Amino acid sequence: MGKLSKLFLVLSVLAFAVPAFAQGGAETEGKWIAIAAGFSMAFASGICALAQGKATAAAAESLARNPAARPGIQLALILGLALIESLALYTLVIIFAKVK
Amino acid sequence: MPDQLQTEHNPAPSAVAERFYSGALLRIRRFMAVLAPLLVVAAWWKFGLRSAVGFAFGCAIAYVNFHWLNRVIVGFADRATGAATSQSGQGIVFRFLLRYLLMALGAYVILSVSPASLNGLLAGLFLPVAAIGCEAVYELYAALARGV
Repeated sequence: MGKLSKLFLVLSVLAFAVPAFAQGGAETEGKWIAIAAGFSMAFASGICALAQGKATAAAAESLARNPAARPGIQLALILGLALIESLALYTLVIIFAKVK
Repeated sequence: MPDQLQTEHNPAPSAVAERFYSGALLRIRRFMAVLAPLLVVAAWWKFGLRSAVGFAFGCAIAYVNFHWLNRVIVGFADRATGAATSQSGQGIVFRFLLRYLLMALGAYVILSVSPASLNGLLAGLFLPVAAIGCEAVYELYAALARGV
């Protein structure tokens, strides 16, 4: 089979309508929205947990190296953890606002 | 002796700055205590009673959450520096996990009692972020106006 025949074969296959990609009803859309919301919340929570762990590990290391710098490190850690937690809350709010 | 007197009455600029920035947590808590009632009244006026109640719940949960986070980190810092601490390790971990339980419980209660006030609850959970923003603006003002 020549190259031109292969090309036409591929084009003819692509020209067919694929029922699997057809627009579904509201139930199908709702299912995918729920799955996407779950994945986005899971990603946000996981990445925030990693960030909190990294911040806490860095603070522990800094405190062990230089205990005299405790007030500054403690303040930065509290603010950092509070802001990281709020990032996961942003995702939750977006999910509640957009996914009904 | 005169140098010592001068130091006591006019502390060095770095000492002033250190004292100013060490009070940041206290100021953030005060900002939260001031912002919460103002925003609850604004939510009541703009969105109605249910949203205001949800917002008040969210603010209360956020305040307690921030307070416990602070206590957990103080205990953690005590452990890391080897200082004497009144909190046990189990207590620190328990309190850290209890914060999430409290937030989930508050959300469940709001959802089961009045789903309409859920938006208010979610907005109220951002009270510490607003307070931290106010503190950042205040520190910027202090740095520019007073040179702290």
